[in-house]
Amino acid sequence: MKCHVPGPNVKVLGRTVHVLARFGDELYLESLPDCVLLKTLNASESAYAMIKFNNSFFSYFKYNFYSTEDNESLKCKISMKSALNAFKSPTHMDKQVENLEIKLDPDACKLIFQFKCKHGIVKTHYVSILDCKATQAVYTKDQVPNRIITSQRLLSETLGNFQSSDDQVTIEATNQSLILRNYVDANIELTKIIRTQINLKASEFDSYTVGVDTTITFTLKEFRALLAFAEALSLPIQLQFETTGQPVVFIVHNGTTFEAHFVMATSKPDALTQTQASSQNNSRTDYKRKEVNNSVGPMKKKPHLDIDISKCLDEDSHLFNYIDIPEETDLRPEKNGTTEANAAEEDNLQEYMDCDIPGSPTSRTKIKSVFKRCFESTFDPRSIQGVKLVENSDSD
Amino acid sequence: MKFRGIMIDAGPMREFTNIVTTISKLSKECVLRLSDDKLYFIVSEDNSGPAPPVLWCEIPQVVFFSEYQMIGIDEEHKDIYLSVISANLAKSLVTLKSAKSLKIKLTKKQCPCLTLEIEMQSVISQQSRQVTHDIPVVVVPRKMWSDFHEPKVQTPDISIELPTLKQLRTTIDRMRTMAQEVVIRASAEGKLTLQIKTDMAKVSTRFKDLRVEAFEGPIDHSDSETESVAIEDISKLCHCRVDAKKFSMFLSADNISHNRTICSIVHKKLVILCLYTQENVKLQCFITGIVY
Repeated sequence: MKCHVPGPNVKVLGRTVHVLARFGDELYLESLPDCVLLKTLNASESAYAMIKFNNSFFSYFKYNFYSTEDNESLKCKISMKSALNAFKSPTHMDKQVENLEIKLDPDACKLIFQFKCKHGIVKTHYVSILDCKATQAVYTKDQVPNRIITSQRLLSETLGNFQSSDDQVTIEATNQSLILRNYVDANIELTKIIRTQINLKASEFDSYTVGVDTTITFTLKEFRALLAFAEALSLPIQLQFETTGQPVVFIVHNGTTFEAHFVMATSKPDALTQTQASSQNNSRTDYKRKEVNNSVGPMKKKPHLDIDISKCLDEDSHLFNYIDIPEETDLRPEKNGTTEANAAEEDNLQEYMDCDIPGSPTSRTKIKSVFKRCFESTFDPRSIQGVKLVENSDSD
Repeated sequence: MKFRGIMIDAGPMREFTNIVTTISKLSKECVLRLSDDKLYFIVSEDNSGPAPPVLWCEIPQVVFFSEYQMIGIDEEHKDIYLSVISANLAKSLVTLKSAKSLKIKLTKKQCPCLTLEIEMQSVISQQSRQVTHDIPVVVVPRKMWSDFHEPKVQTPDISIELPTLKQLRTTIDRMRTMAQEVVIRASAEGKLTLQIKTDMAKVSTRFKDLRVEAFEGPIDHSDSETESVAIEDISKLCHCRVDAKKFSMFLSADNISHNRTICSIVHKKLVILCLYTQENVKLQCFITGIVY
């Protein structure tokens, strides 16, 4: 395959490579008789991008330049780093490059990018071909019930409201409105993170069809990258998605010369983010506490390795002691069994309204049942009657 | 405990954002105290235990809010004290500059939150959209309220109006690269001197013809080293050595459009920097002097 890309289109190609670089580490180039495909897949195989350049994108395009056989498409895999090297600073590319020639010989081990720049400068990049396989993601895009077309501006304006530390976004689509919110990971403490929610009315979009109400969650990093791509080319974005678990497809195209598909895996929405899901909340904190214990344990032991093991055990028992602060709330669920735990928690939530610093009683009880044996010797029976060993630190 | 406030004017919203941004630069955490007529942002020095606040900012609610309602715990404890990570608040308010309105309220969504409902005007269409930020806060228990009272300071020996903060800031930032401490001298004749000393050099910047707001007459220099300038009347001169970094941090407040800034000095002990704005916002910074 041999093709020539005119100057202004080199900029588009450069931007393409840059957006693909945000998706994956390897770049697949595939040439069909009438078009060139650039594809990438991220390491965890949760995001895929494919950009198709029709032969009208090129000033010259010859599919069987090297071979006469026409039956098999030309494919190659190169590393994204080397592709990025060839397309440094796409913003200025159109001013410097007059023409780009890409050559792919099925028998060679190098892919050739030859930039013919102004003042007769010719830059040639020989990029090693890593593999001759291609990748193909399976996704449906045309039959899906939910289709939204929007200007890239609206979405980037919306994403501007999120914190840069947010890494995933949840979209809740109904036929009246689209709600975007940052996904709060179950492992992150709620008291540290800002929860943001943006409500977009259906009328703000160029076209809005939501056949099935659904909630999807996907990564923001790639979303931001593809938005930047659409913004650079000032093209609208077409969003197509089905339900949770099914991939979401973003399509950016200019009609005739190229079409970009960005496919991202979606995950289950986090019920915790806005709604009160006490039971999940419970297990979540529990999990975290355990993790803390695990990680602290060995660290604490380390300096005492030479000292006898009983000392170690003493050290460890301190870890649990802090949990043993007797409080009425702690004991109730344990006595009544797990079925009432939720009810007790509801109570706690009620009490908590008047309480200044929120406690996390549920996790304590869980820990207690997990490490029940640890408590047996140190457990103070007086506490059952509500005797307080430690004064409630919080009189409010 | 209830709190709800609505802002609809662009000017106050911008100003509020500037204030919060400035505070977020000064500290990681701050306490927002809500009272009937004023909002306070209070910053205590990090990790220094119970110490008087280093920053005290008063915002009259009437000017900023079109609607303001709050109910404290009970009759005796009418105020609400919330501890909030200032960067969180600042980051959420960034978009406020182009917003139509802001509704701010205290909510409980799994943890106590300060919920900001910002109504944004879409740039592309005529529509407005709703953006909600839930910022987790910690309600400060009553017995800790005393840590956040307005610091009581002795009457400053001198209060002098500062030159423009921008000018002062460039000066200080240059000085900061050379020395950690800066000596602030103010005289009753309206002169302000910033001085640093290194092994190699002594650098001073002098500002003159500044308005002196108050002077609590003659200053006792009996215990100090006799290196001060002999020409000037020494009893009218007051000085204090402070951390240059802290001083510079206050000067970053220059993005708040202010009427005047006053520097008050308690001789050798304390520097109080105070900024007043048109909307009656008062931002005070307390920098304790370094004594040798």
